[in-house]
This record gives sequence, structure tokens and C-alpha cells, in this order.
Amino acid sequence: MIIDFHAHPGYSENLNALRAEFRPALRAAKHHGVDWICLSSLADWKESPAPAQVRKGNDAVLALAADHPEEVIGFCYVNPRQTDEALAEIERCVVQRRMAGIKLWQACAANDARVEAIAKRAAELKVPILQHAWYKTGGNGANESTPANVAALAAKHPETIIVMAHLTGAGERGLADVAPYPNVSVDISGGEPEAGMVELAVRRLGARRVLFGTDSPIRSYGATVGKVMGARLTVRQRNLILGENARRLLAGRLGA
Amino acid sequence: MSVDAAAYVGAWPFRPIEGTVADLAGVMRANRVRQAVVSPLDGFFYADPSPANRRLLRRLAGRRRIWGAPIISLRMADWRAQLQALAEKRQVRAVRLAPAFHGYKVAKAQEAAELAAKHGLTVVVQMRVEDERHHPPFVKLPGVALGDVVALAAAAPRARVVASAARLGEVLGDAEHIRQLKNLWLDVSHLDGLECVKQARDAVGARRLVFATCWPFFYARSAVLKVDEAELSARDKAGIMMGNAEAAFGLG
Repeated sequence: MIIDFHAHPGYSENLNALRAEFRPALRAAKHHGVDWICLSSLADWKESPAPAQVRKGNDAVLALAADHPEEVIGFCYVNPRQTDEALAEIERCVVQRRMAGIKLWQACAANDARVEAIAKRAAELKVPILQHAWYKTGGNGANESTPANVAALAAKHPETIIVMAHLTGAGERGLADVAPYPNVSVDISGGEPEAGMVELAVRRLGARRVLFGTDSPIRSYGATVGKVMGARLTVRQRNLILGENARRLLAGRLGA
Repeated sequence: MSVDAAAYVGAWPFRPIEGTVADLAGVMRANRVRQAVVSPLDGFFYADPSPANRRLLRRLAGRRRIWGAPIISLRMADWRAQLQALAEKRQVRAVRLAPAFHGYKVAKAQEAAELAAKHGLTVVVQMRVEDERHHPPFVKLPGVALGDVVALAAAAPRARVVASAARLGEVLGDAEHIRQLKNLWLDVSHLDGLECVKQARDAVGARRLVFATCWPFFYARSAVLKVDEAELSARDKAGIMMGNAEAAFGLG
């Protein structure tokens, strides 16, 4: 089984346009044998979207999941700067509509106090948080998480399951940051297919803490599948990364 | 079968990445790559890449399907002599220019492109290797603008020019000009994004694209699979994977 733990529907705001935009992603996923796509909106792709934009984005993901119930599983995107609205959105999407995870992007750094209530709720609901993180040489965005921020969140909330996005963006430093926290895994999405990174993640974290994810449509399915198929891994490690780890983290919500 | 238009041997100084010719041969077999055009990674970092080129050519000796693309710095006063000497080597099919690494503008490469053409060599212009966001803090190296490489190809119409490591957005941005040039090819090593190869094909035409892995810096499998997913016609795919590179590098 292959599960893409990290994908977005597209850039359009209009649902029908988004449906059209998402079609090639489904085709590419199918081409590479991907069984499930974990889809999260990034609302209007602005750093801190308004609550109405967040809801609209999640509605689009719910619609796409309804269109493709055997292929798409929704994650609930929230903006932690609006804590009450974020918690209400989690209630609406995760509790009532069975979304399987929570997506956090660049509205707040992961160690921001406003993320805490979301981390607690995720732990209560036993759903993973997919948290963007990167180490950029030129400096991160003002509210963009570093892997050290993710590590701080993980230390404070050991019961919360966190998947740190973007292995190549995290790099060697990022892996060292999160290695001590068993509640943190890393997805291999984002960045170019730099050789050796998947093997490094396996060495640092163990194969059970590395997940396949593409960040489609920003990155291609082929390039990302190639990271796993091109890495020097055992069959067991490859299977864990491609899907078994994600299935474990998603518990009973897959296909629900 | 395919031709890899951009592979390397040697070591990358900022991460434990190293490729030998024997490793490359194994990667080629595993990915059904029939021929490869190879440059020395260490040549990017030498003021005079000649020692790196000599090592490369020694290592390639006896390899029938691995061609050399030695690196030349146009900041070296004797670059013309270097190019001429390289042109006499049977295994050299191209020279790779790295303007960002060696510190000159692409526009300065017109004479080199023309001289290379005179000697039957292709000119490869390296736009980047590593994602600029991941450069070491003491080396922040902006990428080369694709528009500058396009302008070079236009200014030297007898030269065969390959732009190496362009990103999809750059290709789409310069597509109109690229389509008009028959002496310019783009390697696909750094194209990424959903349907990136198909998008690039639609924008510039299949004849302008050449397969490339950027191994050992990238997983070679990623390049193979991203072309594979484009679901191209057999003709377009054969061109991108092999035929176009044969034309670009004069390979038989």
C-alpha cells in the first residue's frame, strides 16, 4: 500500500476549477500505484488566511474526498492565530466529518503558544498534525517553523502525533532536532530529490518514523516516488515508508 | 533506453555525496541508461577546473558509453587553449560552463560557445546544482537566469547549447523564446511539480528536452519516474530520453 501523506488539491479558489486541477494528480498517483492521497487545503495560500477562507478550503477538500472516497482522505487545515475558530474547524472537520489529520502551515511557528490548544485537541482525537518546517539558508518566513520549533512542540506535547513535513528542507540539522522525540515523524515531501536524504532519515529516526509524501502539486509524484525507489533501503523499510507508517498513524480513519 | 545528459563524478563538499565511475555505471544499468554525459563535481569549486577534468578523463578511459563534459572557467586566461585541448580528446563531447560558480556573466560565453561549435563540442551551461535555499551559509550562490542562456543560444546560432538544471517556472517563463531556437536544449534534471515534464513539453516542444538525472546529487530514479509519469507519445518519450540528447551532443 502506498499513501501520500502530504498533498494539496491545487491553486484555484473555485471548486470546479480545483476539481479539474486535481485530476492530473489523481492520474499521476494512480500511475505510480499510490492508493491514498491525504489532501489538505492551504486556503488562499496566504500565510494567515481568514476563517472564512480556511473553511472554504476545507470544504473543497471535503468535496474532493466525497468525489473520490476510495482515493482521497482529508486533513483539516487550520490557522492557529484564530484559536477558537481553529478548534471549531477541527470539531467540524475531524470530529463530525471524519477528516484524518490536522494541517499546520505558516501562520504560526510550531512553538507558538497559540498552537498548544490545537496540539492538545489533536492528542485527544488521536489524529496526527502535519506541520510544515524548513531550514532556509536565507532565513525562514517570519512565522515559518523550523525543525527546532517542531521539536519544542513535540517535547511539550509527547502525546501528540506530529509529522514534520519536508525532509530535504529539514536536512541533517532538522533530523537531529526531532530525533529525540518519538512522537515526531518526517515526511519526504518537498525539495529536490537529493540523494541520501531518505537513507539519512532512516538512520537518524528509524524507518518507522519516515513517511512518503509528495507536496503535490508543488512537487511531482515521479520525483518523489523516485526518492524511495532510488534509496538504498530494505524491502521492509520501503514498505514502511511508502504506506505502512501512514496507515498506522491514520489508525481507523483510512477509508472511513 | 536513455542518455543521461547531466551526471557527475567526484565529491560534493557540503554533504557526503560522492559518485565514482563504477557507481555511475551501476546506476546506468539499474535505470536503463545507455549513455551518460559526465562532469567532475569538484570542477565547480576549483578556480582552474583542469585537474578535476584530467581526473575525470582518466577515470572514463575505456568506458565506451560514458562521455566527458569537462568544466571550463572563462575566468582562466588560457580557457581557449583548454577548450581546444579537450576537443582533441575522444571522450569529450561537451564542455560545461558554470558561470555562477566561477563568477562571470553568461553573455561572456558567446566566444566560448562559438569556439566549441568550431571544434564540434556542445556547450552546457550549469544554472545551479543545489536548491538555493539549502546552500551553506557561507556560500549563497544565485542561480543563472534561463533567459541569459536563451540569449546565448540566440547569439551563437551555430553552437549547440544545453541549459542544465532549469526549473519548470523558468522554462514556462521563457518558453516563447526557447521554442524559436533549434540549437538550445533543456535538461529535465531540476524540473519538478505535478506533470512537470508534460508541462515543459507542452510549452517548448518535446524536441527541446533531454533526460538528465543530476546523479549523484539526485536520486536517478526520480528523473526516470517523472518522465515516465508524463505519459508521452512513444515518439516524444524516445526523443526526450535519447534522441534529443544524441542530437544535442552529437552522439551516435
